[in-house]
Amino acid sequence: MSRRGERPTPETLATLPVAVDAMGGDKAPGDIVEGARRAAEEHGTRIVLVGPPDQVGDTQGLELVGCTEVIGMDEDPAGGVRRKKDSSLVRAAELVRDGKASAMVSAGNTGATMAAALLRMGRLPGVVRPCIATPLPRLGRTPAVLVDAGANAECTAVMLVQFAQMAAAYVSARFGTGSPTVGLLSIGEEPTKGTPLVKEAHGLLVEAAGHGFEFVGNLEGRDLLPSPADVIVTDGFTGNVTLKSLEGSLRFLFDTMLGIFGTDDATRGAAEVLLPHLLPLAAEFEPENTGGAMLLGTDGVCVISHGSSTATAMMNAVLVAHDCATRGLADHVAAAVRPAQST
Amino acid sequence: MPAETHTNQGPLDRNGVFELIRDQLADILETDPSSITEGASFAEDLDADSLALIELVEALEEELGERTVGFRIDDEDLEDLRTVRDAVDYVYAKLEAG
Repeated sequence: MSRRGERPTPETLATLPVAVDAMGGDKAPGDIVEGARRAAEEHGTRIVLVGPPDQVGDTQGLELVGCTEVIGMDEDPAGGVRRKKDSSLVRAAELVRDGKASAMVSAGNTGATMAAALLRMGRLPGVVRPCIATPLPRLGRTPAVLVDAGANAECTAVMLVQFAQMAAAYVSARFGTGSPTVGLLSIGEEPTKGTPLVKEAHGLLVEAAGHGFEFVGNLEGRDLLPSPADVIVTDGFTGNVTLKSLEGSLRFLFDTMLGIFGTDDATRGAAEVLLPHLLPLAAEFEPENTGGAMLLGTDGVCVISHGSSTATAMMNAVLVAHDCATRGLADHVAAAVRPAQST
Repeated sequence: MPAETHTNQGPLDRNGVFELIRDQLADILETDPSSITEGASFAEDLDADSLALIELVEALEEELGERTVGFRIDDEDLEDLRTVRDAVDYVYAKLEAG
């Protein structure tokens, strides 16, 4: 069921629309359609919405590929994709597979999005398992990327090396970073620290370094904001816990600060001075500005946006999807993984 | 007796079913086909997760659907397929039933 025929060239991909799952996310279809319309109107990105016409409603002038089903946020991912072959997620992935869309974007069920992309687009040759790469802000610099952010709860050391290779190719393609640096998330800088998986992965990353990335050793959780490495690699369970912990901590910090501001004249005065400096920082940490997470390892570009995505988040996700597709991300990832097969 | 098929690709005997499943599984798991034996457990020996099994099922349906019209593996039967041998027996029986 994977891609039929040759993968389109970046030149061809640039002419294709981005397939947007109009029914994915807590704010679907309203914010999703609105974000897609803004990407089209404000940035000239071609869009094709996918969803049941009677549920999508007003497409705001965008093209719609109709279907009859929707995979719910709480449905079993693989089972949902298998049972609901005429769902918006599956149809969106098929548009990419069939060369009718450059990329797909969904703010829906993360597992089902991954399953739809994997089962319809297929895996790139040599890829053991696809992974999710999520940007982590680094003030004033291009973001770092945390991988795997939740696609694979259980991993082997070989998988972690592949995640590093794929994520390095991603930051090179998206941000133009030459020879990205990779750090391995652990509980200490020493190679002897960590679980058996981490220690084995450390050794394999040392061996694999120099081919598309440089390995800078172990990083601890406290090193992630800002990360000294362009890529932080870990298993999907740890990555997801880490990501949610960071999100929650930052939200707590900002909410606490905003709660203090305005409690009396002194803090109101301080707020007037500090807020112009703090708000741009808060914007950098805001997930909706990052363009969502990238699924790496599938034979086509798939952006998984936050379930609570607003119109702005969706617009940014669409722009990242189109940009990465036209930069030939799938080709770069395939090339990054290929050398590992011969080692 | 080989399983009946509806196309000119020829019947598939039990060993052919095993080879098909082994090769598809090796492709999905990026492993050497020779390392996959009939007695191997999907979860414990091959580290095949649920998504890998769904990949296998869809690949088999696509491959065998070209030989036997309407070939399909029922979702509710998947839970009973714990080893490669279980899958081979299941698929071969399905093909024989036609």
